[in-house]
Amino acid sequence: MATHDEHEASPASIPSPGPAPAPSPAPGPAPGTEGDGYGDGALYGILAEYDTPGELVEAARKVRDAGYTEFDCFSPFPVHGIDEAMGIKRTILPVLIFGGGCLGALGGLFLQWWMNAYNWPWIVSGKPAWSLPANVPIGFETTILMAVFTAFFGMWILNKLPQVWHPFFRLERFGRVTDDTFLLGIEARDQRFDLEATRKLLADAGAIAVEPCYLEADPARRTMPKWITAFIVSSTAFALIPFAIAAKARSSTSTEPHLHIFPDMDFQPKYKSDTACDMFPDARCNRGELPGTVARGLLHADDTLYRGLSDGQWTIGFPRQLDITEAFVRRGENRYNIYCAPCHGFDGRGQGPVPQRIAATGTAWSIRNLVDPAASPAKMPNGQLFNTISNGFNTMMGYAQQLPHADRWAIVAYVRALQRGHNATLEDVRAEKRNTMPAPPLPAPPPPPPPAQPALSPAAPAPTPVPAAPVPAPAPAPGGAR
Amino acid sequence: MSLTKSLHPDEKYKAGKLGASLTKIGGGIAAVFLGVSLILGGMQGDGWKRFFHAYVIGWSYIFSILVGVLFLIILHHLVRGRWATAVRRICEAMTGAFPLVFIAGLGFVIPVLAGYDNLYYWAHHDAHDPVLNHHLHHKLGWLSPGFFAVRYVIYGVVFTAMAAYFAKKSREQDETGDPKISERLRIVSGPAIIIYAVVVCMAAFDILMSFAPKWYSTIYGVNFWGSACVGGFAALALMVLGIQRTGRLTHSINAEHYHDIGKWMFAFTFFWAYTAFSQFMLQWYGNMPEETVWYKYRLFGEWQWVSIAMLVGFWAFPFVFLLSRWTKRIVPSLVFFAVWQLVFHWLDLYWNVMPQYDWHVIASEKVAINAGPLMGNTALHHVGFSPVDVTVWIGLVGLLLAGIGRKLKGNLIPIKDPTLPLALAHENL
Repeated sequence: MATHDEHEASPASIPSPGPAPAPSPAPGPAPGTEGDGYGDGALYGILAEYDTPGELVEAARKVRDAGYTEFDCFSPFPVHGIDEAMGIKRTILPVLIFGGGCLGALGGLFLQWWMNAYNWPWIVSGKPAWSLPANVPIGFETTILMAVFTAFFGMWILNKLPQVWHPFFRLERFGRVTDDTFLLGIEARDQRFDLEATRKLLADAGAIAVEPCYLEADPARRTMPKWITAFIVSSTAFALIPFAIAAKARSSTSTEPHLHIFPDMDFQPKYKSDTACDMFPDARCNRGELPGTVARGLLHADDTLYRGLSDGQWTIGFPRQLDITEAFVRRGENRYNIYCAPCHGFDGRGQGPVPQRIAATGTAWSIRNLVDPAASPAKMPNGQLFNTISNGFNTMMGYAQQLPHADRWAIVAYVRALQRGHNATLEDVRAEKRNTMPAPPLPAPPPPPPPAQPALSPAAPAPTPVPAAPVPAPAPAPGGAR
Repeated sequence: MSLTKSLHPDEKYKAGKLGASLTKIGGGIAAVFLGVSLILGGMQGDGWKRFFHAYVIGWSYIFSILVGVLFLIILHHLVRGRWATAVRRICEAMTGAFPLVFIAGLGFVIPVLAGYDNLYYWAHHDAHDPVLNHHLHHKLGWLSPGFFAVRYVIYGVVFTAMAAYFAKKSREQDETGDPKISERLRIVSGPAIIIYAVVVCMAAFDILMSFAPKWYSTIYGVNFWGSACVGGFAALALMVLGIQRTGRLTHSINAEHYHDIGKWMFAFTFFWAYTAFSQFMLQWYGNMPEETVWYKYRLFGEWQWVSIAMLVGFWAFPFVFLLSRWTKRIVPSLVFFAVWQLVFHWLDLYWNVMPQYDWHVIASEKVAINAGPLMGNTALHHVGFSPVDVTVWIGLVGLLLAGIGRKLKGNLIPIKDPTLPLALAHENL
């Protein structure tokens, strides 16, 4: 039902900790004469016990209506409706939290602006150094953080916590307040306080017990013990030492070496790559291959398989070690679509997204069309294709580092399949499907069209990237095959 | 102070003729505005394209409101909530409109099934071009008119059945007062909320996100759901107020319950912004053309003003003002924000769908679309507001009211629910 919340932040109704207020001259009997309170100091207040939270709320309402202001209720759990019954104003904590959240948002944004856009401009992912979307998540976090801090510490401060001691602690009855009892205490400094009248009021409100509370007679015992104060001060001072050392180190120079906390991690008995080493005549710690040896798995002796050559010529077929199966060609398709299609296009016509985007900037850059006759097996044997994939050609880089040789051969097989597909005849179609074929698409790739040709027939694939309206259409330069 | 309260002896909790008159009013609105929309739509001379786009937006609007309200019912059972018992019967009456809403949705599902290709790009023959639409090509098994219609029917059956089950059991408890029914509903609500989540996401993917079939976003369904819940809770607040205005339930539902409805509305206002930003930021950072194209059409050209309006109107303004406890507890202020959010919820759906409206322009410039979004011309994308957008919306809201009216009968509060005394005594600290 009820949760602990901010409404108990009522500075007016919380008895102040620390030294007791100067007791008002109590009109009632002299301290210590009653025998039902402890101590023999001044009267601090009066404590009444109630059986249920409902009775506590009713009593609080009566006390409030009688005009008391210096009183408080104590219960093991938050009691619903007690704030209204005690006449406590709503707390200003939400407003403070809002302010804290706003400060957090601005602080988080300022932090990022200062660090990333002003003090040390740093480009991340091609975005501007000061780039709001990137800063929102951190601004969000700092907003939450500051709002929560304000809520947490604001609640403590408004409630005057931590309160290590309170005069009511002197009553044994008060010990049960975190357990199973409901208490209402009125302080003697209240304007309307009168021991007898107040006692009667509380009793009439249904109290099962009413008890006055007296302060310690010895004023020295009412203050916090000195050793606690000393401990707090000294531990705070100790906690500042690391910061002081860091501040000193930042603002001064020193000829002393670093302090090494873990020397065996800082100084490991090993050589790091590309460092000097006096163990060998060439003073290098990196040891290359020894003459006359080959590292395991690096003997690429088979010219056909590793270089696409047979008898010094480009090989025509495929290396005998490879089985040209459908799975092999599928593997080739997969590798092709990852490594080759960005430039050569999924269909092999050389119109992948890379050249198209380059064209959008107004630069002409043509990519080799893999399915035109110039790349046919007769003109460009398998070995040559393999060599180009491995070592690159003109501005195309080699893919030997990314792709094992078998994958490169698989790409060769898939390129052959693409070529076959592009130059297919009706005989290549399965007999039962031939009647269902639509009108044949344009079989051969057309020559580069004139630049201004925005509307193409739906079936025709885009032959050359023609940029859309805003970019002035460049004249496609012929450009050599790349 | 007491933790429980029984129903006030003077409380008018019978619906009486309320439902019948709501059905009449809603039906009247629907007939007039949908009639006007048909005339306006036909006058557009664009082969009903504008009309059908507006229809999908309007339909998503009434659907999403019920999605939001159904969430409250299921969640309330799942967590053994208390306060919402006071408004649960009204929620049940609202979700009782699901069958009618799904019948209304056939208004665009059947044309798509019959080959109407001016609405969804994936239903157009261009979508099948493997060169032009390389990565769309792979999605066409899912995005085919037949399968789309099948899924639509599944969504309809699931939501209708779920809403009907919760409402039926709840009314059963009015008769018997059996507390085991509450227990039963709580057990059912666990699986129900999982099915609910999946179906809401799938429906958002199919009906709204597929307007941009080449685009990717896995959080889209969640974002739609956030917006839907804002609309749902706003509509619930108005519905409760409307019923109280007729003199019913005036003792049972008070500022405490409005406050809680307002809290939900506030929470989902932020949740919507949170998911919308999550979706935006990842795509902005990743900067992949097939993702950023969706934002390109929304953040540049005419649509950027709608986007800014969304940011300020659907999030910043209501967020800052609904933060306060008092804006949610003072009923006129809550009502203001409910109406405000209901308008912006519609704008959210409009903003999700309409930037794709001009895809035929793009499709005719095939080179441009093939070359990637950075070459697309934002000047081709107009906001192009048309009166038919609003008339269809109002007409469908009328239809929703008529559907709700049909179920607004008998007790307007679950009189024998064991949590009702707690709900009536509910107080926010």
